[in-house]
Amino acid sequence: MDHERRGQWLRGVLDLCVLAVLLRRESYGYELAQSLDAAGLGPIRGGTLYPVLLRLQRTGMVTAQWREGESGPARKYYRITEAGGEMLRRTAADWETFTRGVDTLLREVATR
Amino acid sequence: MNTDAWLHALDGELRRRGIDPALARHVVAEAAVHLRDSRQAPLAAFGPPDAYAAAVAESVGSPVRSAPHRRSAPGPVRLEARGIVKRHRRRTVLSGVDLTVRAGEIAAVVGANGCGKSTLLRICAGLESPDRGEVRLRGTLGFCPQDGGTSDFLVPDEHFALVGAGRGMRRGAAVRAGRAYAAALDWDPAGAGQARFLSGGTRQKLNLVMAGLGDPDVLLLDEPYQGFDRGSYVDFWRQLWAWRDAGKTIVVVTHLLDQLDRVDTVLDLTPARTTEARA
Repeated sequence: MDHERRGQWLRGVLDLCVLAVLLRRESYGYELAQSLDAAGLGPIRGGTLYPVLLRLQRTGMVTAQWREGESGPARKYYRITEAGGEMLRRTAADWETFTRGVDTLLREVATR
Repeated sequence: MNTDAWLHALDGELRRRGIDPALARHVVAEAAVHLRDSRQAPLAAFGPPDAYAAAVAESVGSPVRSAPHRRSAPGPVRLEARGIVKRHRRRTVLSGVDLTVRAGEIAAVVGANGCGKSTLLRICAGLESPDRGEVRLRGTLGFCPQDGGTSDFLVPDEHFALVGAGRGMRRGAAVRAGRAYAAALDWDPAGAGQARFLSGGTRQKLNLVMAGLGDPDVLLLDEPYQGFDRGSYVDFWRQLWAWRDAGKTIVVVTHLLDQLDRVDTVLDLTPARTTEARA
């Protein structure tokens, strides 16, 4: 995939994808990166992920807490807030509408 | 560049950008954990320290030190205390204190322990009467006491509902507003237990949230950040500026003088007491 374009796409949706993963359960940065990779978004660099988490935290979409894991050292766990869940649900509906248009157009290309 | 050197450089770059030192520590610690978990080289995972620090600075908004400066002229006078005198037994606590604060202004009340900061605030709130002088208040009032103020056997949502009811809010709206304010202080009260089980810092967040419920015009805050960790403290000042920008009148009692460049008026109550001691 075109590296540049993938970066542009990610910038638009990474915060939503992070919230969607956190909706499953609370998580910490590296684990989030793995979940996003497993979901098919490809590898996300720490330098891209943590600023997004900071912004989500600042705007009250997530809360964060340092905690010892079952194994290993303390990690910063993020949890989606009620406001974050609401925002996610709203935006997911918008995304649906938006991508439907893109899909329709691009599918024409594939069938031509 | 090895990991330690990179982390050290990152710390320096964050501070150079005016990021709060406690927040910088969190960011560095989190990057260190990530590097250990992922076994990646720092440059591959985060890029150069200065670029990553710039991305962090952008994400957390304007650095705390360069607090938003006045955007517009202050509005009408909302709180006016004139010639306030208060004695506790034979000791004069307040001897002719004046304070005028307009809409869209923050006033800090400072001074040594026992110089009457809390007493002045309680008088402004109408919780105590002055022996002389008068307070004029225009608009609705929110008050955050230094301690107390919460009910041991109620959960946070019930506090929001209770205080909201007194300010004409429906239960659902009050709880929603309370939770939104709490989120701004990095606190999620949804599953929290009764107030008696909350830590001191969290109880103060609860107090602060209650003071802001129902959007009062004037907020009187008596050292509301006691027990806050550094991050919450930063959130607290952000909340204050947000209130100020929304045209609220804010009086905050503080003994932390590093905050005074971020307020509009400073009322220092210490000299009054010094004079009193000499007299």
